[in-house]
Amino acid sequence: MVEKIVRCPECSKITTFYGNPGDCLSVTCPKCGIKGKVTFKKTVTTENVAIEVYNLKKVYGDLIAVNDISFSVNKGEVFAFLGPNGAGKTTTVEIIESIRKPTAGVIKILGKDIKTSFNQVKEKIGILPQEFHSFEKLTVRETLEYFSMFYKKRVNIDDILDVMDLRSYEKMLYKNLSGGLKQRVGVAISLVNDPDIVFLDEPSTGLDPKARREVWNVISSLRNKGKTVFLTTHYMEEAEYLADHIAVIHKGKIIAEGSLEYLLDKYGHGSLLRIKKCKDPNAVEMLKDKGFEAESEGNGNISIKIDYKDKVINVLSQLRYEGIDYDSIEIRRSNLEEVFLHLTGAKLSEENT
Amino acid sequence: MRPKVIAMDFYANLKIWIRSKGTLFWSLAFPVILIFLFGAIFSGMDDVEYSLYVQDLDDSDMSEVFIEVLKETGVLSIESVKDDINITSYIKDENIKRLIVIPEGFGEDIKKASFDTSVTVTVSFYLDPGEQQSNQVVKSIIFSIIQNMNMNISQGRDIIKLKEVSTMTDDFNFIDFFLPGIIGMTIMQSCIYGSIERNTKYRKDGILRKLLTMPITRAEWIFAKMLFMLFLSFISSALIILVGVFVWDMTINITPFMILIIIASSFLFSGIGMIVGRFVKEEETADTAGGAIGFPMMFLAGTFWPVDQLDPVMQGIAKVLPLYYINEGLRNAMIYMNEAETIRNSVIVIVFALVFFIAGLVLTKWHED
Ligand SMILES: Nc1ncnc2c1ncn2[C@@H]1O[C@H](COP(=O)(O)OP(=O)(O)O)[C@@H](O)[C@H]1O
Ligand SMILES: [Mg+2]
Repeated sequence: MVEKIVRCPECSKITTFYGNPGDCLSVTCPKCGIKGKVTFKKTVTTENVAIEVYNLKKVYGDLIAVNDISFSVNKGEVFAFLGPNGAGKTTTVEIIESIRKPTAGVIKILGKDIKTSFNQVKEKIGILPQEFHSFEKLTVRETLEYFSMFYKKRVNIDDILDVMDLRSYEKMLYKNLSGGLKQRVGVAISLVNDPDIVFLDEPSTGLDPKARREVWNVISSLRNKGKTVFLTTHYMEEAEYLADHIAVIHKGKIIAEGSLEYLLDKYGHGSLLRIKKCKDPNAVEMLKDKGFEAESEGNGNISIKIDYKDKVINVLSQLRYEGIDYDSIEIRRSNLEEVFLHLTGAKLSEENT
Repeated sequence: MRPKVIAMDFYANLKIWIRSKGTLFWSLAFPVILIFLFGAIFSGMDDVEYSLYVQDLDDSDMSEVFIEVLKETGVLSIESVKDDINITSYIKDENIKRLIVIPEGFGEDIKKASFDTSVTVTVSFYLDPGEQQSNQVVKSIIFSIIQNMNMNISQGRDIIKLKEVSTMTDDFNFIDFFLPGIIGMTIMQSCIYGSIERNTKYRKDGILRKLLTMPITRAEWIFAKMLFMLFLSFISSALIILVGVFVWDMTINITPFMILIIIASSFLFSGIGMIVGRFVKEEETADTAGGAIGFPMMFLAGTFWPVDQLDPVMQGIAKVLPLYYINEGLRNAMIYMNEAETIRNSVIVIVFALVFFIAGLVLTKWHED
């Protein structure tokens, strides 16, 4: 699947459409309803693609851990593989890393089929396995030196220490580091060979919110350096905060894929404008008459679906025009939790408990 | 294989080892403590019974007295052998460790000897060369009894002589027996546990998974680890030998076969550790499994006491244990200098090592499922 972002010639709404390369689709603007055609580029040039996965399948006995999934990761993007525990994230990422063997499917990294050419790829990737623990009795610096010696291309250890903000811990033994620092060292280890692609399997799981933030900052800085990041997570905030492209995986299937905006747009409820403590009981009817999707939430609260940003102003001007008073307003954006709920009928955060 | 990678990996292992007080203790301090303790406890102590078969071809008053004296030592349990039995085949068939033959005319000749100085009597002592430790004790008992009798009959002239049917020249004591056993035990412990740690902890911690994605070959990884295990085995052995030589004044021979057995043992036990690591996932369970293999083996395979003192069933078990051959091989190579036994045991140890190390390599899961 490829995506194409289109601006509606009529109402200027920006929409992302998905299709197969070469397809020409008839589309309708979700806002103003005008019809048009969208053509997708014929060839996906592998130049821009870091990872390609075709029809990947992995079976454990009766369990289909990964069920015939295909996707690609573009160079320079943070790709988030989002799904609850047991969805098949680690299985997928470890097959891509050649740690596990697929039951079926083809995987290419930087254009090379890993089945035959994984050794050529090794120098260009860096990985942080799930729940990684390095050697307890080596210091941070020794750890980085140890893992870097295997590679032809090596980053100066001092540079990594500075970039990862580990300078003040370089002489500490790994086992004495906090959970957040251990993960930071883990990410640092995956960078010792200055890789093009970095795989991070649940890098912030089990960390407290502050440590999680620190790991997020590190991942953001990787994107800024132009690295491709393949991130797996079951935290939707993490995917929302970091990812350029998100694939939602559930029970071994990719159930939705696209940019955050696209996913929210397609599967979320859109944004909601909430008018708090509205003084006029007829306000809901009035707004509905004017074409807004308004609903009473009780207590005089009204929620109005917002699908383009000017709508907020329109609603508020209408209220002022009608002279309807209220206490305050609140705008609530849709989030991935709702996307997941919409797609599976289950809450992502609950599936993880 | 890249020597630099191997050297760096070795160096990292060395640092980890020096910083791990536990491993340091088990590979260095523990064997040394044992050598000190057991050396002190066992020097000069002996209260075990040794079996001794006696064939009395004379059947006179004098020979009966001799047998009675042997019994009275309280250390020997005497089993008599009928005089029409062929000794050579009897020893072979019944797997007799020690047997003496009192010749026909024993009593008569001793009487003659008190006036005819040319007459002597020879008691033959058949012994199994694989049982040096016990034989040594029994030999010295018989010998002192004969000395005593000679003293009483003729004021010290050697009328009764003891003829050994196997060559035993040196005088060994318990620490000579014990020290090679401690070397075998220490190599066993550090290699089994080292290899289990690499295969369970490193797997659980994701280090093995990470290595699979890095430009290091399996051969480099194994070579580097084995190099380090060999280093550990030699360091432990050297320290144990130094204590033996300087504290217990032992004569220890550093021979090529000793080195060979140490190398083979390191591979052997690393292989066993790999096999355990294949079947046990949790680190703690794996350590328990390692202990469950190591400890019984240590006690059954003649580390602390001679296997021929165990009951026959246990002896049978001992002889299928690789550690038994390592212990015997090291003893013969370092202490007894029995070349035939050294070679025999070394070959067995090498065969065991090949089998277990290759099985370990084959069984180890290099990839995840
Ligand atoms: N080695 C294995 N053997 C059997 N089942 C496995 C194995 N590895 C993973 N699974 C199963 O495959 C499914 C996906 O697991 P995983 O990829 O670890 O999920 P995630 O990383 O998304 O939490 C789970 O149901 C898990 O139990
Ligand atoms: Mg996982």
